[in-house]
Amino acid sequence: MRLHPFTALTAAACTAVATTAAASWPLSVAVVVATAVLAARARVAGRVLFAAAVTMAPLCLSLLVLHGLFFPEGRTVLAEWGPARVTAEGLEFALDLATRTSACVLVLLLFSFTVSVPDLVSALAARSVPPQFGFVLASTLTLVPAIAARLDRIRQAQEARGLLLRGGLLSRLGALRLQMVPLVLGLIDDAGIRAQALEARGFGAPGPHTIFRHVEDPPRQRIFRAVALVLAAMAVVLRLLASWPEVASP
Amino acid sequence: MTAATRAALRAGIDEFTFHGGTAPALRGVGLEIAPGSLTAVLGGSGSGKSTLGKVLAGWLRAGHSGALRGSLELFGTRLDFRGSAGDPRINPAEWSRRVCFVPQDAAAMLSTVRSTVAEELAFGLENRGTPRQDMLVAVERAAAGIGLSALLDRDPATLSGGELRRLAVGCAVITEPDVLVLDEPLASLDAAGAAQMADLIRSLVARGVAVVVLGHSVDRLALQAGHWIVLDGGIATAAGSPAHIMGSPELDASGVRLSAPAASALPAAPPGPAFNLGDVPVILELQGVGFGYPAASPGRPGRATENAVLRDLDFSLRPGEIVAITGPNGAGKSTLLRLFNGLLRPSYGDVRVGGNSIASMPVGGVAASVGLLFQQPRDQLFERTALREVRFGLRQLLGSEGADARARAALEDVGLSAAASVHPADLPASQQRLLALASVLARDPAVIALDEPSVGLDRHGVERLGRAVEQAAARGKGVVLVTHDAGYARTAAYRNLQIDAGRLREV
Repeated sequence: MRLHPFTALTAAACTAVATTAAASWPLSVAVVVATAVLAARARVAGRVLFAAAVTMAPLCLSLLVLHGLFFPEGRTVLAEWGPARVTAEGLEFALDLATRTSACVLVLLLFSFTVSVPDLVSALAARSVPPQFGFVLASTLTLVPAIAARLDRIRQAQEARGLLLRGGLLSRLGALRLQMVPLVLGLIDDAGIRAQALEARGFGAPGPHTIFRHVEDPPRQRIFRAVALVLAAMAVVLRLLASWPEVASP
Repeated sequence: MTAATRAALRAGIDEFTFHGGTAPALRGVGLEIAPGSLTAVLGGSGSGKSTLGKVLAGWLRAGHSGALRGSLELFGTRLDFRGSAGDPRINPAEWSRRVCFVPQDAAAMLSTVRSTVAEELAFGLENRGTPRQDMLVAVERAAAGIGLSALLDRDPATLSGGELRRLAVGCAVITEPDVLVLDEPLASLDAAGAAQMADLIRSLVARGVAVVVLGHSVDRLALQAGHWIVLDGGIATAAGSPAHIMGSPELDASGVRLSAPAASALPAAPPGPAFNLGDVPVILELQGVGFGYPAASPGRPGRATENAVLRDLDFSLRPGEIVAITGPNGAGKSTLLRLFNGLLRPSYGDVRVGGNSIASMPVGGVAASVGLLFQQPRDQLFERTALREVRFGLRQLLGSEGADARARAALEDVGLSAAASVHPADLPASQQRLLALASVLARDPAVIALDEPSVGLDRHGVERLGRAVEQAAARGKGVVLVTHDAGYARTAAYRNLQIDAGRLREV
C-alpha cells in the first residue's frame, strides 16, 4: 500500500509526540528498533542511520557526561572521582533522554528519506497551500542533490582538463576550493534564468492553480490519521495529568 | 480589417540596450507577424536573435532587463516605450498567455520541481488553473505532437539533449499561445526529431498560430517560412520573402549557413591522412565495451537495474583520423565519448589510450591524452573570463608564460581574441561552444572527442571548427566527433560510423 504523504507525516509526528509523552526508555528503544526495521525494508537504513548517528552522537555523548557524571538527585553511587559521581539514576536519566530523542530523530528522518517530494508538494497544493510554498519546499528538499549534481558536473569539466583528484583530504579540499566559485556563480546564473522561465510559465500568476499529479488518499488512511492524532493528544493529556497530580485531584 | 489579416504581434524596436551595456543589443528592428504565419529571423553568432526573441516574448522586459525605445503591439494593444521610468510595464504571466518563447538552452525552460515529463508539460496549465481532466487530455495531445508519448513517466532530468528540446517545445505548445517564438528549435534533434518538429510547426501554423523561428542557418524550417528577417550585429539588414533574400549580400554577410547541414560551410571532403593508417599504432581502442545506466525500478526505491546503452562495442582510432559517429537521440553517443577519458567507466570490456588500459587511471591523468568537448558548453565552462577558461590546467603542462601564449593562440584560432576578458556566461551560446572547443584544443591532446561540435554555430563558426579539426588531424591527432548533422559528418570525416542498438557499424 502506498502511503499518502500526510499519513506518513502524521504517523511520524504522532510517534514522536507519544514517545516523548510516554518518557519510558523501553518504549523509546522499541520505537528505535521498529524504525530501523522499517528503514531497512524501505532500503534507506544506511542513509537514515548515518544521518541519525551524525545528529545523535554528540548529543548522546553530552547527555552521558552531563547526567551520567553530574546528577544532583542521584543516590545510588556506582563510582566517584572528586566532584564527579556516576549514579544509577543519572545513567537512567541519560539513557531515557538519549533513547527518547533518538526515537524522535529516527522517525522524522525515516519520513524525510522515504516521502515522495512530488507527492508531498501535490498534497500540500491540494490543501490550498500556495504553490510558491510548495516550490520552495521542493527546492529545499532537492537542494542538496541539485548542488551535488552541479558540483559533479564542474568536477567532471575540470578533470576532463587535467585536474588530478587524489585520495588525500588536502587534495580534495584544494579541488573543492576550485569548484566553489563556479558553483556559486552557476547557481546565481541559473536562478536568474529559472526566474524568467517560471514567470513566463505563469508561476507567479494570481488566481487559482490546479494540480496535475493525483495523490490517492484512501478513506482508511484518513481514519488512521484522525485516530493517530487523537491518540497523540491523549498521550499528551495523560502526561500532563501525571506530571501535575494536583490538577487531576482538586 | 478581419482577424485573419490583423497582425498578431507588431514590433518596432528603435533600440534595446541591456542594463550596464555600452552599445544597443538591437537597433532598428521592425517586424509584423500575422496569425497563421511562419517567420524566420536569421542571423549569425551574436547577431541579437535570442535578444529579439526574448524581447518579443516578454522574457527581457523594458525597464526590468534593459532600456527599450520603440513599441510592441499585441493583437491591437500597443505599448510605447521611451526608455524612461514612466514606460508601461509588461506583466510576464499575462504576456505569456499569448506569446510563448522556447530558449536555445531547452533545460532553462523546465521548472525543475516536477518529477515526470507529464507533470512538467502540465506545469504551465496548473498555473493557469486548468481543470485536471482537461490537463490529462492536453498532456496526451502535446506529448503525441512532440513524440514524447512513450516518455511521459520519465524524470525530465534523465532525458537526452534532443528529447529535452522536444519537451521544452511541448511545454510552450500545450498552453496554446497565439504567438510562438522558438530559438534554434532543431538544434541537437536527430533527423526523425527534426521532421517531427517541422510537422508540428506546420500544424500550428495551419491552426492559426503565428510562429517565429530564430536560427543561424537556412534549414528546413526557414525554407517553410513565408517571411525572413536577417539580423546582423543587432540590426535588421534585410527583410522580405525568402526568394527576395536568398543570395542577397546582406544574407551572405550575416554569417548565416546557407543550408541545414554545416557541410555547406565546408570545402569538399578532406583528402584523408597522408600516411598509411595501417602502419601507425592505434591511439584509442575500445575492446568489447558494454555500458548501462542504473535505473531505479518503479515502486522499488533503492533497487537498481541497468539500462544497457552500449553492448560489446569495439572501436579503434589512429593518429590523423577523423571519425564521425551519428545516431538517433538517446542512442548513447555522448556516453561513448565519456568512456574515452574515463568520466564514465565501462560495465565490462576495456578502454585503452596509447596502448595502456585507463581502467585504473584517474580522469585528470587520461586528460593529458584525451580532450573532450561536452555537448552542453555550459557544463564545461566554469572560469571567470574566457582567457582563464582556456588557460585552466595549462600551467602544469607549459609553465606560466607558455600557458598564457597557448591560451591566447587557441582563442585566436576560434576567433574569440576580442572576448578574452568576457565572462563565459555572457557570451552567446555559439561562442560558448567555440570557447569550450578552444579549451580542448589548447591542451593539444592525442585524441580529440567532440560532442555535437557544430550545433548552434554560424557559417564562420563552422569554418573555424572545420579548420581546427583538419589542422589537428594534420598534426597527427585522432578526432572523433559525434553529430546529428549527417551532412557535416560526411564532409568533415574520413570514416563514418553509426551507433545502432549499442554497437558501431560503418556507414
